[in-house]
Amino acid sequence: MAQIACTHCNLKFDDSVMIKEKENDKELNFCCKGCQGVYHLLNSEGLGTFYDKLGDTTLQPASQISEDLEKFDLEGFKNKYIKTNEDELSEIHLIIEGIHCSACVWLNEKVLHKTDGVIEASINYTNNKAKVVWAPEEVKLSKIIETIRSIGYNAYPYDPSLQEERATKTRKDYYSRILVAVFGTMNIMWIAIAHYAGYFTGMQQNFKDILNVAEFILATPVLFYSGWIFFRGAYYGFKNRIVNMDTLVASGALSAYIYSIYAMTTQRGEVYFDSVVMIITFVLVGKYLEVLSKKHAVDTLDGLMGSTPTEVTTLKDGIKSLVSIENIQIGDIIELKPGEKVVIDGIITSGQGSFDESSLTGENEPLYKQNSDAILSGSICLDSVVHYEASKDVSSSLLTSIVNLLEESITKKPHIEQLANTISGYFSNIILLIALLTLAGWYYWNGSFETALIVGISVIVIACPCALGLATPMATLVGISIAAKRGILFKEATFLETMAKSKLLALDKTGTITEGKPSVVNAELFEGFDPALLLALVETSNHPISKGIISYLKKENDTLKHITLENIKSIEAKGIKASHESKKLLGGNADLLKNEGIEIDGNSENSLFFLAVDNKLVARFELTDTIREGAKEAIDQIQKMGIKVVMLTGDHKQSAHKVAKEVGINEIHAKLLPQEKSALISEFQNNGEIVVMVGDGVNDAIALAQSNIAIAMGQGADVAINISDVVLLDEKPQSILEAYKISRRTFRAVKENLGFSLLYNVIAVPLAVMGFVNPLIAALSMSLSSLVVVGNSMRIKIIKFKDNS
Amino acid sequence: MSESIVILMIGVSTFLGALGLIALLWGVKTGQFDDQSKFIDAARYDGEDELRDAAMMQDKQDEQKKKARQKKKEKEKQKNYMPPD
Repeated sequence: MAQIACTHCNLKFDDSVMIKEKENDKELNFCCKGCQGVYHLLNSEGLGTFYDKLGDTTLQPASQISEDLEKFDLEGFKNKYIKTNEDELSEIHLIIEGIHCSACVWLNEKVLHKTDGVIEASINYTNNKAKVVWAPEEVKLSKIIETIRSIGYNAYPYDPSLQEERATKTRKDYYSRILVAVFGTMNIMWIAIAHYAGYFTGMQQNFKDILNVAEFILATPVLFYSGWIFFRGAYYGFKNRIVNMDTLVASGALSAYIYSIYAMTTQRGEVYFDSVVMIITFVLVGKYLEVLSKKHAVDTLDGLMGSTPTEVTTLKDGIKSLVSIENIQIGDIIELKPGEKVVIDGIITSGQGSFDESSLTGENEPLYKQNSDAILSGSICLDSVVHYEASKDVSSSLLTSIVNLLEESITKKPHIEQLANTISGYFSNIILLIALLTLAGWYYWNGSFETALIVGISVIVIACPCALGLATPMATLVGISIAAKRGILFKEATFLETMAKSKLLALDKTGTITEGKPSVVNAELFEGFDPALLLALVETSNHPISKGIISYLKKENDTLKHITLENIKSIEAKGIKASHESKKLLGGNADLLKNEGIEIDGNSENSLFFLAVDNKLVARFELTDTIREGAKEAIDQIQKMGIKVVMLTGDHKQSAHKVAKEVGINEIHAKLLPQEKSALISEFQNNGEIVVMVGDGVNDAIALAQSNIAIAMGQGADVAINISDVVLLDEKPQSILEAYKISRRTFRAVKENLGFSLLYNVIAVPLAVMGFVNPLIAALSMSLSSLVVVGNSMRIKIIKFKDNS
Repeated sequence: MSESIVILMIGVSTFLGALGLIALLWGVKTGQFDDQSKFIDAARYDGEDELRDAAMMQDKQDEQKKKARQKKKEKEKQKNYMPPD
């Protein structure tokens, strides 16, 4: 049968399932009522051009969600997310779900603009965040959300005040400063060329004056506006009695500037305005690159908290009422509906159901819970209505404490002191001292203060930290780009250095060493087995086991015909029942089949899935979480590099040991809650270890934030990816090994570069002290030393892949 | 070549460059480069419709500001209101 694209969402479906319609000789096809609704809504609003802008992009089929709209107008919600600005307008920050392309952004903005009472709506395409301002007396927030939902998207709020605003502000600030610096430098450069030419061929003093004044005008804003950051840094350093790189840059630039003004007004000697702006611009760009790559952990923290309810249903004397979560007290009875997220820890008092705890333990398999079992906040109730008694209030519940811990550990992430910074600290001290001594010495022996000043400044100028400043960034830049080509993304350059120093690797089990999803390892098929029937049955369920069976069936059979089942009924945490053409289907675990009186072999260390037709067993599947390809070899080699490997997992001991044995890990810590993992990491750190942690799930997030270097799997949870320092796109365990190798090689290049630039200074500075340096020699030797550093860094590229077998 | 020509050349070219720089800085400050992806699309979706849309939003904002001002005035009036005696 032919596949036809839905007119709205562009997804392709079978011809037979499409809803057809004719409009002015044009045939329209819709995959669902939702898409149809949105299409007509857009056309009647005159927004049909959306589809031209959309092109071939596919969207999610529109689903009409109408529930829980009233929560947006509740008082608790208002206090938490809505701000009122000076014009008495309300303001909220939303994350819009379902944005795929720029046409989506266009559509959402357009529709919001057309809504009465909305004053401002701007959506950021990069992170799908929106800011909406509206007049509260004209339109309610629930109406705005409803509008967004009516066109097939969804929105939930977040609190932007955390760190995001600050991060954007710093970035903009730096950007403006760099623009000014680059503008000043470029213009001074071409004036300086005239200067240099005049230096050799001779130039009349009056022309020289014009050039000097022009350079002075251009250099002033660069030094004081763009260079302000260094003055600030030097000031804070001075306050804390630390001489840092900023001190050297600020004092070097300022003294060269002052001397140049002196030279300009007295019409004697050469001006150094070009050196002033060069120093500022180069070092500023380096700093900007650091700011640019600062992590956006906050983005996903917002997502984590934003999707949790602000109100829960409580039962008091048989009366149901919505209560804000802050007002829940220990002992209150709370009702949980299917699909709801638990926000308060408690103990079940009535009802039973399966709970998805994957965000806490990392295990995808839902847990079956009944009366007097404890439920933890952060888990999701999957299939039934449950009443439970709150055993903690919201602030001490697990979910809140996890988010708090996460926020804390992001800001407090341990930083290893960087080699370059340590060296440049000492370096700055020594150079300043030498310059002062030179000034005093020359003044004493020579008697002329002017000459003494020139020589003193030339010491600082030639020691200009160009090579030293380039030593680390250049090498790490090459290292990062090589890593990126191998599918390893380092988010910040300094992580290479930290990782190179690490001697301890902590691995999560599920999703890191293993695939994270069960797959069929053994299948026994008996008479009467029909794969198409089984496919239809398991496709009705979201359980990971069902998904494993689906992928197995699709692999084994090329085409399976589509069968529609009747009377589908899912049995909590056990399986599915259905019927087809008077045949009774039963699929699920051993318990389910035993209850129906079917004889089966339920002994296995793996998860089992049975299928029975008319109470006769027709298939038996064994499923297990398989270990990723190459994990054993990679771990072997990492251990050979002298790195200790430990395994941290939320899973129980037995399966942890089984996996550990297979990949050759000796130290195992099993049955850990998220905060326990993190505690373990900090224990390692207290013992002086630099810890690299690899993980993939929400449950690893705190531990990742706590570790020195966090590596996340590319398919992992958003939170994990965002707070991590390194992302492995191809998810291969081999990549961890490669990351180690690249970082160690890069670190070696950094050390070589630093060694060279120090050597350069050891030779050049004494020459400057003796007064042998004129501006041309200074410029030439400076660029030569930089070239050497760049060349050495490029060597990382050549050597790297010879030993990378 | 006389000095005044050199001054003129440097002056004019620097001034023109500075104008461009100021325009850029203004753009950064008003958030026009905040969203890289959208920034590119701005050129694609640039037509009469978009202009009308922007004008409409501006009108809305102005109206709201006017209202807010009026409200404030009324409040102040009420405060300063003294019954004629």
